[in-house]
Amino acid sequence: MVWVLKRVGVAVLLVAIVVSIVCLAIRLVPGDPATLLLSQGGVAPDPAAVAQLRHQLGLDQPLLVQYLASLRGILHGDLGQSLQDGSSVAGQILQRLPRTLELIGVAAVLALATGLPSGLAAGLRPGGLFDRAAGLAAALGQAVPVFVVGTGLVLIFAQTLRWLPAGGYVSFAEDPVRNMELVAMPAVTIAFGLFSVVFRMTRASVLDIARRDFVRAARAKGLARRHLLLRHVLRNALVPVVTVVALNLGTLLGGTVLVEYVFNYPGLSGMLVQAVDARDYPEVQGIVLVISVLFVSLNLAVELIYAALDPRVRRA
Amino acid sequence: MRTLRLGPVVGVAAIALVAVAVPVLPLSNPTAMDIMHRLAPPSAAHWLGQDGYGRDVLSRLLWGARSSLGVAVAAAGLACVIGTGLGLIGGYLGRGAEFLTMRSMDIVLCFPPLVLALLVITLLGPGTATLIPLLALVYLPGFVRVAYAGVLSVRNQNYVEAMRVLGAGRARIMLRTILPNIGGPILVQFSLAIAAAILLESGLSFLGLGVVPPAPSWGGMIAAARATMAQAPLLLLWPCLALSGTVLLFNALCDAVRDAVDPQRVPRRRGAARVLDALAPGLVAAGGPVLDLCGLTIEIDTPAGTVCPVRDVSLQVHSGEILAVVGESGSGKSLSGLALMGLLPPAARVAAGAAWIEGQEVLRLDEAALRRIRGRRVAMIFQDPHHSLDPVHRIGAQVAEAIRAHRPVSARAARSQAVELLRQVGISDPERRAAAFPHELSGGMLQRVMIAIGIANGPRLLIADEVTTALDVTIQAQVIALLADLRRARGMGLLLITHNLALVSEVADRIAVMYAGEIVEQGSAAALLARPLHPYTQALLRSAPGEDGSLPEAIQGTVPSPQARPAGCAFAPRCTYRRPDCETAPPPLVDAGGEHLTRCIRWYEVAASVRSAETVA
Amino acid sequence: MSPLLVAEGLGRDFAARGWFTRPRPVRAVADVSLSVARGEAIGLVGESGSGKSTLGRLLLGMLAPTSGRVLVDGQDLARLLPSDLRRLRRRMQLVFQDPYSSLDPRRRVGAQIGDGIAIHRLVPAAEREARVAALLAMVGLEAAHGARYPHEFSGGQRQRIGIARALATGPDLLVADEPVSALDVSVQAQVLRLLADLRARLGLGLLFISHDLAVVRSLCDRVMVLYLGRVMEEGPAAEVLRAPHHPYTRALLSAVPSLDPQHRRQRILLAGEPPSPADPPSGCVFRTRCPWVLPACATAVPPLRPVGDGHRSACIRSDIGEAGPLVAQRLHDNTTRQHEQERAE
Repeated sequence: MVWVLKRVGVAVLLVAIVVSIVCLAIRLVPGDPATLLLSQGGVAPDPAAVAQLRHQLGLDQPLLVQYLASLRGILHGDLGQSLQDGSSVAGQILQRLPRTLELIGVAAVLALATGLPSGLAAGLRPGGLFDRAAGLAAALGQAVPVFVVGTGLVLIFAQTLRWLPAGGYVSFAEDPVRNMELVAMPAVTIAFGLFSVVFRMTRASVLDIARRDFVRAARAKGLARRHLLLRHVLRNALVPVVTVVALNLGTLLGGTVLVEYVFNYPGLSGMLVQAVDARDYPEVQGIVLVISVLFVSLNLAVELIYAALDPRVRRA
Repeated sequence: MRTLRLGPVVGVAAIALVAVAVPVLPLSNPTAMDIMHRLAPPSAAHWLGQDGYGRDVLSRLLWGARSSLGVAVAAAGLACVIGTGLGLIGGYLGRGAEFLTMRSMDIVLCFPPLVLALLVITLLGPGTATLIPLLALVYLPGFVRVAYAGVLSVRNQNYVEAMRVLGAGRARIMLRTILPNIGGPILVQFSLAIAAAILLESGLSFLGLGVVPPAPSWGGMIAAARATMAQAPLLLLWPCLALSGTVLLFNALCDAVRDAVDPQRVPRRRGAARVLDALAPGLVAAGGPVLDLCGLTIEIDTPAGTVCPVRDVSLQVHSGEILAVVGESGSGKSLSGLALMGLLPPAARVAAGAAWIEGQEVLRLDEAALRRIRGRRVAMIFQDPHHSLDPVHRIGAQVAEAIRAHRPVSARAARSQAVELLRQVGISDPERRAAAFPHELSGGMLQRVMIAIGIANGPRLLIADEVTTALDVTIQAQVIALLADLRRARGMGLLLITHNLALVSEVADRIAVMYAGEIVEQGSAAALLARPLHPYTQALLRSAPGEDGSLPEAIQGTVPSPQARPAGCAFAPRCTYRRPDCETAPPPLVDAGGEHLTRCIRWYEVAASVRSAETVA
Repeated sequence: MSPLLVAEGLGRDFAARGWFTRPRPVRAVADVSLSVARGEAIGLVGESGSGKSTLGRLLLGMLAPTSGRVLVDGQDLARLLPSDLRRLRRRMQLVFQDPYSSLDPRRRVGAQIGDGIAIHRLVPAAEREARVAALLAMVGLEAAHGARYPHEFSGGQRQRIGIARALATGPDLLVADEPVSALDVSVQAQVLRLLADLRARLGLGLLFISHDLAVVRSLCDRVMVLYLGRVMEEGPAAEVLRAPHHPYTRALLSAVPSLDPQHRRQRILLAGEPPSPADPPSGCVFRTRCPWVLPACATAVPPLRPVGDGHRSACIRSDIGEAGPLVAQRLHDNTTRQHEQERAE
């Protein structure tokens, strides 16, 4: 129990540091950030606009005052207003976050459903035909960038075969079939890369576990093969796989940027790119904050799962 | 360390060469537009055609390679140098330095890479000058962690402590001793980081936030080609191929480096195992020994050819008897035990011989039939109890599992039987221990658990492979006493495999001494210890410290490796009784009377020397 | 002759670090005093967890003691500047248990043997090679072996290389931490004989750490028996092994299997396992496993008291040496006799 409290404590501390860094990052930029944000193509911005932006961002106030004001806002769920249209950043994030989570969720299910069994099969017979075939697929999934895979899928399934829509979004509640059609291609695109991770990790882990002494000792008991594979080999092999998969899911929170862009999918990451393009600092700040906090929470969840899977960790 | 596979190295070198040579190659200007010939197909002047602005695609592709690789290598290099330095300092100096470096990396890791990149680009604007330090920051934690983990594992190695004992300073130890030993993983991380940096850079350029157009980059080319992909799909193909191919090559290089650095090699599976010749029926009489092993020969395929670590081993164990097989590492004693269980490692196979356990031949059984025998008729206990139990399951469950593998009992009944077994092997408070995980028990306790698992189904033969080697002296005595008691109470045959002649001399009924894969002497324990008939046994007995406190006598030389087996007697090069004819042909195992076997052609001289020593005393 | 090394009341705690839990010190070594003279061999005997390796590191100044002090030629190691301590290291060297991890796998063994010479600038660089060759010859290897890598050698040869590296600085004291326990039986004797030979030839002080009393007796003048970080008994090796006064020494001695049927001892099977050093028993730390335990054993830590010439034991009873054990049995005789009876029936 002490161990859990300790991990939670560290996570809370990390969130606090992340919040501080994001709030203060704008002050760390050399030169006047307001001028920089308004500069477009080397044209000097209007001084009045700069002054107004400085006021809006709180740059005209002392560092501490601005920092405390931002913290107070965050604690009340207020992430400021967009520079583009003055809308609430928090509101927009709440609208878009579930879409990105849906995408990641579907991709994760696909990747685990394919990666785990193929990793187990390949790890049990290393060097076999299946191992080499699946290994090649995984190498491609690791090397080909998502925007290339995505563009390829659009070219084939949307433009040539016309089986699936090229992009867009409809919520599941509105039209489940259309929602699935629209989610399919971006999810497969992400799942391809994630499959490589799951496959390679599972394979390596199974290979490692299968040659441990305790597996030989378990075989010496005369256990049935299925029992041996599930209860001893896979059960132990899962420990590192879960960790790596979860960390990769965390990376995906921001990593869907390219996929959302390719499929014109209005998720959180698409909003981030748009905000970066428009140099809408409050929006960028809000999104980075939300993603990072989710990321830290996910890491915390990983550590707790890890402890649940491996009794040795709990002792520490 | 194995040699590096050449393919990926050559591929990466070729790409790097192109990237370096681009400025001197006769290419057209990558940014020169030619709107008249936009989307022109390949021609003699433009081998890969022209893009949406009529620019030469080949030229842009190669210049793109230069910028992509340049950014990636510079960023990965920067991250590598700084990260390795921080990891070394954090790992070796510990305390404050460790806390500072590792926690600051935790903070960087709170931001997913692409999100961190976008945050920085918002503030600093796009461009190569931003990209390199940015990517370096993104990949910094990876290097710090790899270096740190490497230092932690190397730091406790004795050779680092040896340098400290010698009086070496910190800088010398870090640079001369630790750095070379963690170089492998760092090299792997370096090629990994380059591949990842190429991907991230192209992704940012694809979004228009990396290398700023019109400067050529692969990501930017793909983004531009998407607009015209219906008319000119080839324009999309070239940068996609270049990008994916490069990353693929770097990943392959990474795997090659990893394989070359990692000493742990995946054993290659053999095809079909060689089928042993069928046996004539009726060879074994009913009511014979529990184990009757005849002419066991084991082969192992190594890169240097097939070696024979066990040759022509024959043994019998009767019920209620303890047969000790004594030998040093490499004598083949453990492989012989594993062969009886059908648990030989993948590279090894039984090449000849037969083994009857309670009259059933086991070397020719398939896996399903072997499974029914393992743990029921014959059980085996291994050397290291800490690694012989599955770390994630409770003790009781692992004992119960052995019961249920062979008997149709309910989970609850198996559990209570498991507790009873734990009690029988002398574990105090067995109910509580049954609920414990392996890491919560001491080595002696774990070995008792392994014994409980071994006897769970009342096997007729128990194979104990170096079961006391990993334990303390006082615990060793306990475990050996327990095994001797169990064998007596249950009338099992016990095959005790060990290197410690003294340990078994007090409990064994008969002893077989193995050297370099062969039995060199076998006989009753009393006779063999009192009158050894093989020079090796004699030398082993003398190599223990004497009761009078005299220094033990050394056996010169070392055990021959299986690859370099002498032509004649395997022990001849180290033997004091050696004669020329010892080295010409392998000596046979001869019976010196009273079922005392020896593989020495001069056993009578050996016997005479023992007798004369006794008369002198 | 003044002793080379003196340890007074040496103790070492390892703190179990925790953020929220109260740190509980683990006492690895408590109140150990000893002295080593030039050319003297002392055996430190104990099982795992007895603190014998920690004690070795404390004596070398590799670990700082929590209490007590180590004097080398009258200089307190704890008061030396780090640079002076490094210079002093030249005189005290260590031979490790595991011949595989004690050599750097990526450097030639000649270079590793030469490290000590280079660090302390003992001979000009030009003569270093000749010095390394001489060291290799001293441990029974050839000069050409110096150009090879560690993986090309067998365990016994690696242990010789480790000894050559330790001798390179010309030490006065060699601490050997279980130097033969990882070796094959037929090679152990070679290394033991080498150590005995070098000690006689070079007049080395030797601190021999081992779990094997028989080996210690054959090599050492004096022996110190440790249990859970405390000294149980110390004295001349022959004397302690012939007439052990402490119950633990007796039990340990009886557990060593013997090849000679005429020397079979009464086996004293100790019940249970050593307690955790983090939570040692009160009073005498051995009392939980001691067949001779008395109620008084739990009240106070028994002091080391003289029981013979230079022979001291930390047991409050004085009848252990003579009286027969209360629960010990002639295990071997009993089991074989019963077994034979069963067979006869």
